Amino acid sequence: MKGTTKSPPAVGLYEIFLSWVGAFLGITPLAAINSQLFAGTDQVMIIGSFGASAVLIYGAIRSPLAQPRNLMGGHVLSAVIGVAAYNVLGHHIWLAAPVSVATAIAVMHATKTLHPPGGATALIAVIGGQNIHDLGYLYAIIPVGLGALIMLTVALLINNIPKERRYPEFWF
Amino acid sequence: MTNLPVDSCPINLSDEDIFSAMKEIKGYLDITPGDFKEIYNFAFQHAHTRLTRSIRAKDIMTREVISVGRETALKDVADLMHRHGISGIPVVEKNLRVVGIISEKDFLFQLGDKKTRSFMGAVSQCLHRTGCIALSIKEQTAKGIMTSPATTVTEDAPLSEISALLSEKNIRRVPVVDKGSILTGIVTRIDLVVSFCSLDELKR
Repeated sequence: MKGTTKSPPAVGLYEIFLSWVGAFLGITPLAAINSQLFAGTDQVMIIGSFGASAVLIYGAIRSPLAQPRNLMGGHVLSAVIGVAAYNVLGHHIWLAAPVSVATAIAVMHATKTLHPPGGATALIAVIGGQNIHDLGYLYAIIPVGLGALIMLTVALLINNIPKERRYPEFWF
Repeated sequence: MTNLPVDSCPINLSDEDIFSAMKEIKGYLDITPGDFKEIYNFAFQHAHTRLTRSIRAKDIMTREVISVGRETALKDVADLMHRHGISGIPVVEKNLRVVGIISEKDFLFQLGDKKTRSFMGAVSQCLHRTGCIALSIKEQTAKGIMTSPATTVTEDAPLSEISALLSEKNIRRVPVVDKGSILTGIVTRIDLVVSFCSLDELKR
């Protein structure tokens, strides 16, 4: 438990700027769709886990956890698992919640799609409230799959503009 | 990196080396310096094993080998070694079949009281007497002081085997022979060190 090494170095100002701009441009479409297009409906476009994904795909683009396979695979698989956990254990939310998160992690590991926000996506399927529950498995497509896809598109564009950045590191 | 043989060229990465290197990459690197060091050490060992198994004597040996015959006078052997700046020389028959090897140590052994093989040992003994006893071997030929049979390796011997051999027999060079014990080249400790330090280039 002692800790044997140290934190990697801090990034420079330019990198911080690029991360900020990327995240801003990535979340904007989701927030816009959510508040304009889906206003007054029960549909959601934005969930908390997208904020977490933004950290990775705009702020730590070299990380294996930030790659397209992880983003898309992690979110969609976790969404399916979360909905399934709610369907099976919904009467015991206190159990459905940890089962959804733990299982999502296990499945992401096994499929090499580990993506931290996936844990949040699974959890939100369980504790997210009535309009999430009403979506059923559609949750995995909207908001999860589509939202991740929109963020990915922005990432592919924005991360390849600066000459010292490149994205992704790998596709599959 | 404690498992590497002495002949290799290990570069011990310090934590500062790694940290400075990480700073040269602009993006956020999702790995700790410690984990990187672990991976580096494993990767280095893997590469070392792979290359020392695949690089062979024929890849690093010197092909133009200076040699002498059994009947070559020792004074000519010594002269040859001096002029070419070598510390050891294979003894061969006319068809270049290796029959023995002479090194500086073999000369030193004869120069002293036959108990020491070191240069300073011979010098010390020379200084303690009125003259040095090189006279006893002055009229001899190569076959008189050569080590026979000589340790040899085949052209296909991998680096790992050659390195182990030089260590184990405490020798500094080994003649390379083909299937009929015919001399085709020679590998010295320096060749090993040089090749360890440029393992990659050799495979390209």
